[in-house]
Amino acid sequence: MNPAQNPDRLKFVYWAILAAVLLLPPLIFENRGYYLRIATLVLMFAGLGGAWNIIGGFANQVSLGHAAFFGVGAYTSTLLLKFFGISPWLGMVAAAVIAGLLSLMIAVPTFRLRGHYFALGTIAFAEVLRVLFLYFKGITEGPVGLSVPYLGDSFWHFQFRGNLGYYFTALTLLSLTCFVAYRVKVGRLGYQLRALSNSHEAAEVVGVDTYRAKLWASLLSSMLTGAWGTFYAQYLYFIDPDTVFGFWTFSVKMAMVVILGGLGTIWGPLVGSAILIPLDEWTSAVFTGNLSAVSRLIYGGLLIALILWQPRGLLFWFTEMSERRRRKRRSLGNPETETGA
Amino acid sequence: MITNFLQAIFNGILTGGVYAVVSVGLSLVFGIVDVVNFAQPEFLMMGMFVAYFLSVATGLDPIMASPLVFLAVFLFGALVQRLLIQRVLNAPLVAQIFLTVAVAMVMVSGAQLLFGADFRSAPTFYTTKAVHLGPFQFNLPQILAFCASSIMALLLWIFMERTDLGRSIKATAQNRTAAILMGINPYRMYVLAFAIGTGLAGAAGAVILPYSYVFPTIGHDWGLIMFTVVVLGGLGSVPGALLAGLIIGVIQSLTSVYFPTQLQNLVVFIVFIVTLAYRPAGLLGR
Repeated sequence: MNPAQNPDRLKFVYWAILAAVLLLPPLIFENRGYYLRIATLVLMFAGLGGAWNIIGGFANQVSLGHAAFFGVGAYTSTLLLKFFGISPWLGMVAAAVIAGLLSLMIAVPTFRLRGHYFALGTIAFAEVLRVLFLYFKGITEGPVGLSVPYLGDSFWHFQFRGNLGYYFTALTLLSLTCFVAYRVKVGRLGYQLRALSNSHEAAEVVGVDTYRAKLWASLLSSMLTGAWGTFYAQYLYFIDPDTVFGFWTFSVKMAMVVILGGLGTIWGPLVGSAILIPLDEWTSAVFTGNLSAVSRLIYGGLLIALILWQPRGLLFWFTEMSERRRRKRRSLGNPETETGA
Repeated sequence: MITNFLQAIFNGILTGGVYAVVSVGLSLVFGIVDVVNFAQPEFLMMGMFVAYFLSVATGLDPIMASPLVFLAVFLFGALVQRLLIQRVLNAPLVAQIFLTVAVAMVMVSGAQLLFGADFRSAPTFYTTKAVHLGPFQFNLPQILAFCASSIMALLLWIFMERTDLGRSIKATAQNRTAAILMGINPYRMYVLAFAIGTGLAGAAGAVILPYSYVFPTIGHDWGLIMFTVVVLGGLGSVPGALLAGLIIGVIQSLTSVYFPTQLQNLVVFIVFIVTLAYRPAGLLGR
């Protein structure tokens, strides 16, 4: 029996392939090795992209300041751990809550803005936070950055030897991100967001409270981004304002994986991340010293090429291709389905 | 005390005039092409490098060289618009935003590859000179930069208001269909507007070179100023950008007197956010 004829079985095959792909890296790569580290980073950026996608993709509100939530998340858990010895797992919850509160604050001035203006407004907020975290040295150590105190290989302290523990944490967090994104997409909120992504006015006419819908989307998106911030701090043991609140380092990168993979899709961020992050790591490993800019050059060039070729992302192109092939096969193979329908 | 205050205001006007010309191109491009060019600060960086190498190779003064720099960046901008931006004019917003972000990335890393990350400067004989006027003291390069900026603003105004080509550009922005019916090719106008907008940023880069270092990532430092000026003046409004440039210059200069330097930009950010929140159309927006 051809699996293509049975949608349920096809779905099962897809899930099995996905599970195999995601469980493969820890089996074949060394725990302390470089490759498992890249795989973990792929999961992290897939998760960040998935979180960004909820507001940036579904609602088409292009945020260029998501590093604000990421940075706040990273600093929240690290400061809680440093000053009060609170476990980063609890810190992660606190990070999500504070990032969520921040998103509500940011919503007031930015949600009236449309299109380019929204993008500009979100950039400004991330930059304000970067400047503030640089300035209040007493708490944040300013530009020097904060080191996460090392407390030994312990689950409670969210610190693991090697990459394995982090890989599975990232996988769990990614699953959560995808689940939330999926629920949003197929639920009421998803329809509302899609309606307002075309036109706020039209959505209002059919009874969508656009402010409320954006508020929910932004809240979910920022909370997930904040939680990933904690993950990052624990994984790298070091944070500084210029990195975690950075425009290029996070705001742009987390949106880029989505654009590369597929805007507004569930799996697009994973596809984008799986391409972009290894490419990034590879180019920055190959081109060092004076040539380190080559990495960015390739990156930017790739993005330009992709936007001109497939502005809706690789996943869109892939489904379009397979759809076309299927239609072709159907019209060649068994013509009765065409007439029967 | 009052002298300090007035001195800060005057300094602010001098820098503000430069800010106005640095930013006006961004507003022009948005008003006409309807694209926010996130790579605009990189065109300023490019202008600075062109002026720097002209000065090193031929000894030409950067301010004197600014028309040449304008021309070089103008041509590059025209290419970028024709080959890249033109293709996404009808694409989703994300594609437009990230195309210009990617152009910025390529320009910065290209500059890093070509010129390295060093800070370079092209000192002139007047770089360290100052002018005393009563109790006030002004840096000569800043005065010259202000004068050059004023001339550029004036030329832009004459071009837009008094020449057929400038009027055609404005007509395209106001009503594209009507402009087409009048025999104007809108795409050519877009290329022209984008090239002028980026060229102005480049020429402004040449003008500030006598008192400023040049390095590949200098655009990041200017991005904030540019976007604040443009938003405050009203995205798309050329006179708005000129006025807002002066205002931001004065605000920044005053904060640097009364606040720690690290927080200097914070006030600019707050102006930016408050404008967006309460008057997104800007002071003189459409």
